[in-house]
Order: sequence, then structure tokens, then C-alpha cells
Amino acid sequence: MSKQLIISVGREFGSGGHIVAAKLAEHFGLPLLDSNILGEIAKEKHTSEEELRKYDESARNPLFSRTVNGFSNSPEEVIAQMQFDYIKGRADAGESFVVIGRCADWILRDNPGLVRVFILGDKEAKIQRTAEREGISRERAKFRMEQADKRRKYYHNTHSENKWGDSRSYDITVNSSKLGLDGTVDLLIKYIELKNA
Amino acid sequence: MVLSSILAVVVFAVMFIMAARDRLSRTAAMGMSALGAVLLLFGTFMGISGNDSSLVAQIVAVLIFVVMFVLIIMDKIERHIVTLCCGLATLVMVFGICMKSFDAVWETLNVANIFTPEFWYTAGSAEESSSGINWATIIFIAGMMVMVEGMAKAGFFRWLCMTLAKLVKYKVIPLFITFMLMSAVLSMFIDSITVILFLAAVTVELAQLLKFNPIPMILSEVFCANLGGSATMCGDPPNIIVGTSLGYSFADFLTNTGVIAGISLIFVLAYFFLIFRKELKEASEQNIDISAMPDPKEAITNKRDFVISLVIFLIAVVLLVTHAQTGLTVAFIGGVVAVLTLATSGKHALELLKKVDYKTLLFFIGLFVVVGGLEQTGVLVVVADFIGNISGGNALLMVAIIIWVSAIASSVVDNIPFAATMIPIIKTLSLTTGTNLDVLAWSLSLGTDIGGSATPIGASANVVGTSVAAKHGYPISWGRYLKACVPATVMVLIICTVSIFVRYGAELGIY
Repeated sequence: MSKQLIISVGREFGSGGHIVAAKLAEHFGLPLLDSNILGEIAKEKHTSEEELRKYDESARNPLFSRTVNGFSNSPEEVIAQMQFDYIKGRADAGESFVVIGRCADWILRDNPGLVRVFILGDKEAKIQRTAEREGISRERAKFRMEQADKRRKYYHNTHSENKWGDSRSYDITVNSSKLGLDGTVDLLIKYIELKNA
Repeated sequence: MVLSSILAVVVFAVMFIMAARDRLSRTAAMGMSALGAVLLLFGTFMGISGNDSSLVAQIVAVLIFVVMFVLIIMDKIERHIVTLCCGLATLVMVFGICMKSFDAVWETLNVANIFTPEFWYTAGSAEESSSGINWATIIFIAGMMVMVEGMAKAGFFRWLCMTLAKLVKYKVIPLFITFMLMSAVLSMFIDSITVILFLAAVTVELAQLLKFNPIPMILSEVFCANLGGSATMCGDPPNIIVGTSLGYSFADFLTNTGVIAGISLIFVLAYFFLIFRKELKEASEQNIDISAMPDPKEAITNKRDFVISLVIFLIAVVLLVTHAQTGLTVAFIGGVVAVLTLATSGKHALELLKKVDYKTLLFFIGLFVVVGGLEQTGVLVVVADFIGNISGGNALLMVAIIIWVSAIASSVVDNIPFAATMIPIIKTLSLTTGTNLDVLAWSLSLGTDIGGSATPIGASANVVGTSVAAKHGYPISWGRYLKACVPATVMVLIICTVSIFVRYGAELGIY
């Protein structure tokens, strides 16, 4: 593909956003960037990926963090910035890719090749998918979903002026419960092809 | 008046909590701020029209101070903007509207002080005015910043780290001890942020070459930087403020807090070696190819600049050590080292000036004005009386309270505003209870300097050290930090308390 294409996929927990992103990457033949970014960073810095993963997609706690001359004691903030730099670096190098979360919709906002997608879902469908995927009760799945979405929203809104899940922050938002995951993927492929036509 | 002030406080409190929890939109925040401000102004004017304008001034000064502290802790707005805005609010609302006193404004701005010969040269141990902006502190820190920028540009710090590493043949345990000592000694003269910035970066670099985990070493270096800073007048900002406000010399600090810091350092070296011995021994067992290590000379960017920066640093050390004898004030010394650095930097002078951390200097200016508001309205006398009452005039208890309360407060909030606020309090305490001011000053310095080591946010060096580690892929969690540093902090505070009781027993009435 000659023209640069970057698809940022924001998602609600349990909406199947990760699967949608993976299928989009497969369809367009693009690399998928998610928490595997930390593996790349760890390799580059000769450090442990496991240590970095503890702070993935988490925002700093304002009461337990302080910034001095641009240096923050919060590992969450430092690791978020590392991932932003990594994503930006690859985008600036002209690469095409699909990236899940990590505020890419905001970090890459000036890149003309960016398509910002947000996947949401009906509450019941999300609970069911989470319970089946993780083999847990519905109550536990609901709790997991609420916690994860709260964390993602806080993380996104801490680093971005756009609001997480707000349709105005994205080019297209899709409810995956209405079309199913394959239908959602087809819709998005069509949208991206039309946009890039 | 009281009702509207209370309402204003409630409105502000609700607003802060909601903003912190990300439940408040920008419009709602502005609306609530406006409501709070109206209530506050209403209360203020009502107060002025009655007979309790001094009480109103006190309430407004405290409110501004609390808002400033909360905003600094929340870290959403840059702290120099916070203190400058709160300083402006103090000048307008406390001195202007409530007190209607231009004298208070003038005294707090303290500008006339700079144009007196005593500001630059004093025959005896002159005492600075502790009210308002402490320009001596600001000029000294600015001067040292310029000098340190010159040293960093020439490659001094990296060269020093690499040279010492080479001297100990890159062996991990000697490196661990040497870097801790270097951190403590450098921090006696240079701000701990710069010391840790370079030391932590070199530590990570060596750790990757020698294949060991740099976290134990960085934590130990950070702790030693704070401890070293407590040893001298110019080591840590609280000490500079205490020294310039109460008229102490470099030698006064070195022979009082310096001795206690020196004793503590021995225990700290042993403590960190013991808790990290397993990791250090594992790292020591690895085979090292010394020939693959970077040459220290490579760190020097320009030989001429390197020699000049070293000479200026030595001049600064000599001037500081002898300033009680020469009569040169720290403001003068700061000015001299800055002028020397800039004059010898040639075309790079502007570049060095641009690198000066103006935000920190502005932070100090705003902070001194807000604390000046508390002082001028008599709030700090009330606090001093309170401390005097709860200690029942018992000097030992008073010293213990100052050390431990300062330490606990400094472990969670910035120790600079805390120290600046406490200075007028200990002065009043000394006057009203007859307790020796020197002992209270050393207690305050040690408490604020050492307490800051306890948590990752307690002191600037901790923030920079943990940040540098994380940026190189070694995140340090709160748990990891606390586990290593809280016992060390408590140990050093106990040493400080006992040392002060033993050494100043006569002044405190023990014997």
C-alpha cells in the first residue's frame, strides 16, 4: 500500500474491539500494535517486558505522583510516554499499522493517514462475551468490565484533550453488538476503502 | 462573613474533589470557581465593614495558602503558576482589600533589600528579613544554576562518574559505595536534581554494561543526595532559606547539621549495603570486560570549558566555606559564579542563560509572597503558640515535634513551602518560649531534608531518580521505594533526634 494508513482502534471492554482490530490488520496486511509495543521497548532498553506491562494503559494517580522539571515519578506516565514516542516514531517514519488504544487517536491526530475508530457494544453482549472469554460469572464479568472501562477512560482523558468514547473524538464509532464482529469489520473495511479512495 | 467564607471553602473543596475525580466539566469548574470567589469577596467585604478585618485577612491568607498547597499536590497546573497566582491573590486580597496596607505589600516584595550594601556584603553574621521574598535565596540559586549548567555542558558530571567507576575497576560493590558517597558529597554543593540526573543516567548505563539491576543503586544514591544536601547551607533549598532567613553561615551548617549528616551517612551506607547485598553479590560474580567500558575522557566535550567550569566550581566552594570570614553573602557568591560562568562561556552564554530553570525561581517568588501573607496577618504566630502550648514549653518535646512533624510533612508535600512557612514559626517559638533558636533551626533543616527521602514524591531528587530509572525501562513502584527508604528515613531521623538531644542538651535544659 503506497499511501500511509494508520487505524487507531479505541474500544469498550468486552466489545470485541481487539478482535476487530486484528481482523482489520489482517485484511489490510498491516502490523498490529497493542501491548506488544512494550515487548519492543523492553528489547530496545534491555529490560524486562513483564515489569513494563504492570503499568500498561494506566494513568498516574495525582495524589501519588509529582513532576519536577518535566520528570515524573509515576511509572504509568513514563511508560505511557514511551509508548506514545514509539507509536509516533513509527508513524513519522511513514509506516502503516493498526494500533489499539494507547491514545493513538490523539497522539497521531495530525497524521493525514489516520483513521480513528471506536468500538462499543450493548452492555448485555459485553458482559456475556467477557464471562465466556474469561470463564467467570456474569457479576464478575460486569465488575471487570466497569473497572477496565473506568481505567481506560481515565487513562485516555489524562493524556488527551479528546474524550474517550465521545463520537466527536473519532471518525467512526460502531456498536459491535448490532452487526456482530464480522459485520463490524466489513463495515469498517468499506468505510476505510471509501475514505482512501 | 464567617458563613460566606465557610460556604466558599465548601464550594472550593467540592470543586477540587470533583475535578480530581474527573467528574467536573470545564464550564462547571469555572462556574463553581466564580461562585466561590463571589462568596469569598462577599465575606471579605462584610468582614472589612465590621471590626474583624484582621480575622478576615487571616482567613483569606490561610485560604490562599491551602489552595496553593492543594494545587501543588494535584500537580495539574505548573507549580510556579500556582504560587505566582496565589502570591498575586495575597497581595491584592490580603494586603490590599483586607489590610489596606501598602507597607505590608512593600515589606513582602522586599525589593529595597537588594539595593542595600548588607545584602551583598556583611561584616558580621547579619540576619536577613524573613518576611516576604527572600531574594538572597533566589539570586544564590539562580547563580548556582548557571554554574551547574556550565559544568554539565563541559561534561564534568559524566566525567566524574566514569572516572570513579574506572578507579574502582567497575566492581559492583565498590561502585555502589563510591556512587553513594559521591552523591552525598556533590549534593553538599550542587542541587540534588542535577546530581541525581547525571548519576542515575550513568548508573543505568553502567548497569546495562555490567548486567546488574540499577534500581538498588539509584535508590541509595537518591537517599544519599538528600542526606548530603542536609549537611550544608547550599545543599538543599530549605537550608538556603533557613540560612539566609536566620543569618547562618556555611560553617554553621557544616558544624551542626553536617556532623549529624556525616554520622548518619555511615549508618545509611551500612543499611543499603545490607538490604541490597544479595543483588549486589549476584552482580559481582559476573565477569567484566573492562576494555569494553567507555573512556571517562570521552565525556569531556571541551577541555578548555571543562577546566574553567572546574575552577569556577572550586571558587564557589572556597567562597561558600569562607563566607563567614570574608563577609560575602550567599547572594554575592551566587552572583559572582554566575557572572564568571557567563563571562567565560563566550558565545554560549545565552544558551546557558536559557537553560536556567526560571520556573523554579518564579515558584520561589510566589511562595515567599504567600508565606509573607501568613506572616503579616499573624497566622504563623497562632501556629507557633499552638506548638508552644501542646509541648507545654518543654524544649525537648518541641524539638522532637519539629523534627518529626517536618519530616512527615516533607515526605508527602514539597519541603520548600513547608520550610519557608516554618521559619517565622520557629522564630516566634524561640521568642515566646525561650527555646534556643539555633537548635530549632537545625531540627527544622534536618526534619525537612531527611523526611523528603521517605517517599518517591518527598523530594525533587526522588522524582528525578525514579523518573530516570523508569525512562530507561526500570520502573520503581511506590511499594519498592517505601520498602527501601522508609526504614532508612526513620533510622536517620532517630539518629538526628538523639544527636540533637545529646549535643544540645545544655541549651535544651537536659543537663
